[in-house]
Amino acid sequence: MKRCLTIVSALVLGLGLLTGCGGKRDEKVLNLFIWTEYLPDSVIQKFTERTGIKVNYDTYDSNEALLEKLQSGVADYDVVCPSDYMVSILVSEGLLQKLDFTQLKNFGNLEPKFLDQKFDPKNEHTVPYFWGTTGLGYNKQKLPGVVDSWAVLFDEQYQGRILMLDDMRECFVAALKLLGYSLNETDPAKLAQAAELLKKQKGLVQTYNSGDFAGLLAAGDVDIAHGYNGQLAKVVAEAPDKLAYIMPKEGGTLWMDSLCIPIKARNVAAAHLFLDFVQEPEINAEIVNAMHYASANGAAKAHIDPAILNDAAIYPASETLAHCEFIEDIGDAVTVMDKYWTEIKAQ
Amino acid sequence: MANGENIETTPAFHGPKVPAPRGAAPFQWERGFLTAHSWLVYFFLYAPIVVLIVLSFNDGRHAANWEGFSFRWYAKLMENKLLIKSVKNSLLIAGATTVLSTIVGTLAALALARFSFRGKGGTQALLFLPIIIPEIVLGAALVTFFGTVEMRLSIWTVILAHMVFTVSYVAIVVRARLSGFDRSLEEAAMDLGAGPLETFFRVTFPLILPGVVAGALLVFTLSIDDYVITSFVAGVGSTTLPLQIYSMIKVGVTPEVNAVSTLLLLLTIIMIVFAQRLQQAPGEPGEKK
Repeated sequence: MKRCLTIVSALVLGLGLLTGCGGKRDEKVLNLFIWTEYLPDSVIQKFTERTGIKVNYDTYDSNEALLEKLQSGVADYDVVCPSDYMVSILVSEGLLQKLDFTQLKNFGNLEPKFLDQKFDPKNEHTVPYFWGTTGLGYNKQKLPGVVDSWAVLFDEQYQGRILMLDDMRECFVAALKLLGYSLNETDPAKLAQAAELLKKQKGLVQTYNSGDFAGLLAAGDVDIAHGYNGQLAKVVAEAPDKLAYIMPKEGGTLWMDSLCIPIKARNVAAAHLFLDFVQEPEINAEIVNAMHYASANGAAKAHIDPAILNDAAIYPASETLAHCEFIEDIGDAVTVMDKYWTEIKAQ
Repeated sequence: MANGENIETTPAFHGPKVPAPRGAAPFQWERGFLTAHSWLVYFFLYAPIVVLIVLSFNDGRHAANWEGFSFRWYAKLMENKLLIKSVKNSLLIAGATTVLSTIVGTLAALALARFSFRGKGGTQALLFLPIIIPEIVLGAALVTFFGTVEMRLSIWTVILAHMVFTVSYVAIVVRARLSGFDRSLEEAAMDLGAGPLETFFRVTFPLILPGVVAGALLVFTLSIDDYVITSFVAGVGSTTLPLQIYSMIKVGVTPEVNAVSTLLLLLTIIMIVFAQRLQQAPGEPGEKK
């Protein structure tokens, strides 16, 4: 028994020592936790040159991974980049700090239409970083006519040539929007209509895939791919005479990733410096030019490559945008949707 | 486990061995069948890896179609700081885990094989547990534990977490090696004047070395490809290669991933060849299996 106690106390002591080493706080280090291919090295270098603060860059693969990390309470990240719906979850869990806008001089560079979204009504916790859409990529040689509607995804002549995202909410968006409803619809009757469409569509779909939809489209394995604009824009840019990306006229999903400071951030001052730095017009344009995502920064547009600004896959026309919505928490309706989705996938 | 083929400790398969046949005809038939079967098994195991290596030299951006030979993705890989950093992290973590787990696991195996103490049965059962518990449960439990003791997530928490599930493998493999151990060899060494330490390092350790090496290789492969547990416990500056690859999927997999996998495979092969050399090292008492 005595021996047991000795071992336990030795273990505790050892852990304590390790904790001690890991807990050192450094004013000159900023720990970033964001998506991969979101920030060019050149911008990180400029930030370090100007402020003397070293940047650690770690990546995550899903919003849920980020949530888990922040919930642990022992992750030392100073800046994170959650998507719209995850912002609401993080705020409701009390995992994000309120930002100090006196330190964010460049906040005024942001276009007002991207501010005050439902997921953070007064932008108390977030500064918009990148935004985009979920639409359609297609092969112009195989679909020579005008493609401007979600209807192509439900057209029998493309049987076996269609790819859908393996994502319940996004698939329902396509069906709901085609029916002319909001993508956050909660009415059971309308959801049933959408589910009916998706059930009929299943026979036409070659695969449900959220990972490599752009690659499969580029390789010619499918002719129509439902997918996020970022990846599709990249393959379209490589083969512009073969492929195209559109946001259907009925509208679709709008997504936005924002920079935030976790409640447990250790270097809050450096985090504010960084948030402000990336909204400087030249710096913001440098990021967009390297990463090919749309930024919410209006002042940066003067420095962004016109080819990117005119690329409808990256910066869609504002009339298309008017029909787009963010995916929101739809409460109990999600259970109904989930039941239909299981039926569709099990068919 | 997906890496079964990397931890072979017996010499490679040298062709089918069938008992002496009575008639010539069935012998031919059996032999042909077994050869075909072996080739099929090898094809099944290695064809995906060959495809991965070939496509790492593909000039196109997408893994699926061949657009000509090039080293483009290897060059790109060298510029990808995040990917390089993650490979370094993975190697560091796998290396440290291998050393620590092998030492702890071997000592545990020795204690279990040599001594009887109160709670031995329980200790043995507990040793199996980390192998049986689903990884996701272990990951969630570890991150809750680190949160409770206020231990910041870092490269150290990843190493500790990897030790939790790999020590058991070493203990079990070494334990198996010890079960056929002839203790009179140790007694002879001590009779001839060797102290306990000298006996261990000159007699016991060389005899159990194949088990220890097999355990170490197992730990290395388990650690380097672990995703689930690592994704829970990784913190600042400890993104490993599997985490990095998963996060790259969001923007589409490029042959860069194939290139880095090919390099890693090369490293693993070198390690296995080295380990097999070590096991076949001459000048040791007793036969090696």
